[in-house]
Amino acid sequence: MNHPTSHDELLFPGDDPSPSRRAFLRLAGFGIAAGSLAGCSRRAPTSALSWTQAPEDVVAGRAWWIATTCGGCPSACGALARCRDGRPVKLEGNELDVDSRGGLCAAGQAALLGVYDSQRVPGPRWQGRSTTWAELDSQVGLELDALRKRGKVRVLTSTIHSPSTRRAIQDFVGHFADARHVAYDVPSAAALLDAHMHTHGVRVLPDMRFERARVVAAFEADFLGTWIAPVHFAARHAERRVPGGDRSMHVQFESRLSLTGSRADRRTRIAPHELRAALERLRDEIAVRAGAAAPARSSLREELGAAIERIAEELWGARGASLVVCGTNDLAGQLLVNEANALLENYGRTLDLARPSLQRSGDDRALEQLAGELERGEIDMLVCAGCNPAYELPSAFARALGRVKTLVTCSPEHDETARIAHCVAPEPHFLECWNDAEPFAGSLRLTQPTVPPLRDARTLRSTLRAWLGDTGSDREHIEEHWREAIWPRARGSESFEAFFRRALHDGVVELPRENVATPAFRGRVALEPSTPGPAGATLVLYAKVTMPSGAHAHNPWLQELPDPISKATWGNYACIAPGRAASEGLSDGDVVRVEAGGAVLELPVYVQRGQHEDVVAVALGYGRVGTDRFMRVGPQWIGASPTVDSGDAVGVNAAPMLAFEGGYLRSDVHPLRLVRTGRRAELARTQEHDTLQLPEDLAPHGHAERDLLHARDGHGGHGNPGLWPDDHANDGPRWGMTIDLERCTGCSACVVACQAENNVPVVGRDEVARHREMSWLRIDRYFAGEGDEVRADFQPMLCQHCANAPCEAVCPVLATVHSAEGLNQQVYNRCVGTRYCANTCPYKVRRFNWFDYAREDELANHSLNPDVTVRSRGVMEKCSFCVQRIQEAKFEARRTGRPLADGDVRPACAQSCPARAITFGDLADAKSAVARATADPRAFALLEELNVQPSIRYLGRERRAGRKEDPHGH
Amino acid sequence: MALQRWIFGLSTFAIGAAAIALDGDVRGEGDHSGYAPVQPIAFSHRLHAGELQIACQYCHYGAETSRHAGIPASSICMNCHQVVRAGMDAVLAEKAAAELEQRQVRPVESVELRKLYDFLALDSELKPLPGRAPLAVPWQRVHALPDFVYFDHRAHVSRGVACETCHGQVQAMERMRQESTLSMGWCVACHRASSPALGTAAGAPDGPRLEEHVSTDCVACHY
Repeated sequence: MNHPTSHDELLFPGDDPSPSRRAFLRLAGFGIAAGSLAGCSRRAPTSALSWTQAPEDVVAGRAWWIATTCGGCPSACGALARCRDGRPVKLEGNELDVDSRGGLCAAGQAALLGVYDSQRVPGPRWQGRSTTWAELDSQVGLELDALRKRGKVRVLTSTIHSPSTRRAIQDFVGHFADARHVAYDVPSAAALLDAHMHTHGVRVLPDMRFERARVVAAFEADFLGTWIAPVHFAARHAERRVPGGDRSMHVQFESRLSLTGSRADRRTRIAPHELRAALERLRDEIAVRAGAAAPARSSLREELGAAIERIAEELWGARGASLVVCGTNDLAGQLLVNEANALLENYGRTLDLARPSLQRSGDDRALEQLAGELERGEIDMLVCAGCNPAYELPSAFARALGRVKTLVTCSPEHDETARIAHCVAPEPHFLECWNDAEPFAGSLRLTQPTVPPLRDARTLRSTLRAWLGDTGSDREHIEEHWREAIWPRARGSESFEAFFRRALHDGVVELPRENVATPAFRGRVALEPSTPGPAGATLVLYAKVTMPSGAHAHNPWLQELPDPISKATWGNYACIAPGRAASEGLSDGDVVRVEAGGAVLELPVYVQRGQHEDVVAVALGYGRVGTDRFMRVGPQWIGASPTVDSGDAVGVNAAPMLAFEGGYLRSDVHPLRLVRTGRRAELARTQEHDTLQLPEDLAPHGHAERDLLHARDGHGGHGNPGLWPDDHANDGPRWGMTIDLERCTGCSACVVACQAENNVPVVGRDEVARHREMSWLRIDRYFAGEGDEVRADFQPMLCQHCANAPCEAVCPVLATVHSAEGLNQQVYNRCVGTRYCANTCPYKVRRFNWFDYAREDELANHSLNPDVTVRSRGVMEKCSFCVQRIQEAKFEARRTGRPLADGDVRPACAQSCPARAITFGDLADAKSAVARATADPRAFALLEELNVQPSIRYLGRERRAGRKEDPHGH
Repeated sequence: MALQRWIFGLSTFAIGAAAIALDGDVRGEGDHSGYAPVQPIAFSHRLHAGELQIACQYCHYGAETSRHAGIPASSICMNCHQVVRAGMDAVLAEKAAAELEQRQVRPVESVELRKLYDFLALDSELKPLPGRAPLAVPWQRVHALPDFVYFDHRAHVSRGVACETCHGQVQAMERMRQESTLSMGWCVACHRASSPALGTAAGAPDGPRLEEHVSTDCVACHY
């Protein structure tokens, strides 16, 4: 046998050099492969199934909008569902809603995923077995017949803002000798409601008109983040945050650094036990100014006393246009606040009781009474709807649920309560059913289905009506109620049909105000003298902006949405003030055991600036059963560690620590014991640097004098030399954006809007910890100052669409190039994944697809936006300025034969922003809103000194007097 | 010896390549022009669009308002075929035969239309068959673009680009066939040739006058 030559080795290494059958096949195979590469392959046949019956008004590929109401929380914001091919793909705010003004929060937008949740209960269950509605109705009917004359029946719900459902509950309850409806909220606002019962004779929340307030003092009320109706409050508050003469002053007193506190002009830390004394001092200071005799002074920390005196003076100076709000669930405290507001003449001006808010109606006293009845085993039937008492109430309550003879839950998922219930009568998702809402007296919303029901579910309204023998549909029940109770209130000349059709089209109806006297302040309510609570460590349980309640715990978008302050994802943690952490030798990620209220939790530590030293804060809403479904979220590869272990949960549930105190469900619990375990659990955070500090030698000239995130005097100054002179011929519009950092609250609604619009994948805890999150839009948070003076600045960060883009210069395959309209284009099908562009991007906004992210859940994939490519492994991606919306607006303008108008194009982030911080449009059109905003003296380009010439301008924050570190004295 | 092996190698390679080439004409990557799959119903565009001159957008009504022209619902077919149940020739032939045999004219039903009625679960009198649900017609897709391309019919129709510009002489096609390559180069060639200076879009000599630039930006189609 010949020794093979070198050529032979190249051709057929290790083969017999003589022509053989194997060699022939191999070469012919190469030939076939080469032939295929030349492109002779026929496309694999694909079917294109047609409709059998063309639906009216539906055109394949064309989006249409259905007016509905968000069911994410009891705020009931008006919403529009963008539907494609028969299913909703995006939720947005309804601009006709005068309260939310087109904004929608992160949780509301993320609620879209719920309708495509493959783990929802498929249908009704009786005694642990699947059953039919007819079977369930007859079983429950038998029990109810036995209880009609004697027997205790209770309906336990969260706040019900649907008038037709409230009516159905009343009818149901009225059928029994001993039946009652109990509503509760977590976190509770019962004290606020009861205080108004005492001082005004009505158990409602006043509508808080932040836009009319020149001075706002908030005590433990995170009104921009989680308290009652943050979208409404943020929209109104932002109206007064425009720098200039009329800008409002906002002072926050709080124990932990909330989103709202981080935005305050002045902030004072206060321990929960100091709160009542502080409010008493505030009331007294205001009363003295109103002419009362100076009362005996209660003991108060000196600095706190001074801060209270100062705010009292400011509030008094703006009386009639000031506002005191308080989030504590302590009746005495809330009575003091009401009195202060009454002395400040705020009722009727900044506090509206003529159009009160019905967004909370929970009654803690009734709940405590029910807890007693449950404990004694007296309840024969308990029907739970819209709530999960086994999870979100104190552990004693959850245990007592086991003593109910028949426990019914209407939960749509197999939650903690459903697991112990005898009967599960699942409710549908709000996007697949009829409903109505009355968030403010006389302000109504309608909810209509956007997709046929994906599960065999029935609303609470229909279920209760069915048990009373009424088998009408939801729509019939709602129309009937509206015809009888709502339409007459409209007092219009319209027929009912026209009125209802208009309500259905608009989604919202404002009824004319009733001609009745507004309840007036009845005078001071006698209180027992203030007893300062015990000092020492207190546990504060709070709701997170990104996880308003445990009901959202199965939502992967919200689980991976970084908390605006801590930037942590996937789970909760114990927030501890820096001083306490130092004295106990704790740092970020140390696992501690928190013992309070008879329960024990193990949590990692997060050292939180701006928090009161005596306070440990833990978020509610985590530790939900079934969240081990996220075990397989994110890429499965050899180096991966699961987001959650099998049988475990994401975070831990802190609700068992809630406690009744004086008839109210309190979220501040003491005493508290903190024990270190010695173990560590790293937090998955998207930002680990906290302050912005440039080394002096690297800082550009004048940097030290420049306020953080503030405009520098004069623009440009570099002569703006370009890399390629006149390379980017601009043709037509030149898209640009401004982001007003004064208006931005950091609420992260834009982040979820972007995720929903642009098919941004969820990557899981492990990948987040590796800094591989995929969000196109992130919110950078920078702390400044220490102690009371801590403030946080938020900066939404997305592709800046630079005119002189460094990424474009380094891409070897021209996968990122400039468009004639000023966009920095990312072309997925050209990208080969060198990642040079991400390295060179000064803003670090480019995201690389390290994996093909899980799209295994066929049902969940229906939430994908069909107008945006689902990117695959190995390509770079980033913000496109929602180019699909730009194209859609251009095509529609062309089709209808009109020029593109300012405001036709709204990227998802700009649309969703409750505070209207983001403006988008054509910079080439001098009259456009964005061009005018760019000319604002506050406008600055980020890292302007790099001369990348971004298309985004930020409008800097203005500081109010009183900041120690403020060099400008704004 | 080495030369021999080279000759052997190249010739076998050529055999493989030729085997592919014989299968069809050699075209560029992703070029599916000429693709004309057999459809579940032998629908004739020649008859409908050519002979009967039904406007394209009668059936493909999405072209004006949507990204997709749309594959018509069976109910669109039934707008006519509720009444028209066979071709004119067959009807006339039956009429002649009936006259010759001096009998009543029997209803005539085309073989292809029977397939449509079967999909729709309709009996010989076009009444719904009990216990059977109508099924979608599994039409075979002829024109398809990759997932990362967003072509919009509306943008082209509103500029007066005729359907034939891209789809060819559909009115002459018995079975629908992909006429153009639908490759990016083919798209861009037309976009480059259309400009305000030329007056109208290249494929639309009778269309409205162009006032703005026809984009050749990547994001015109890729996003």
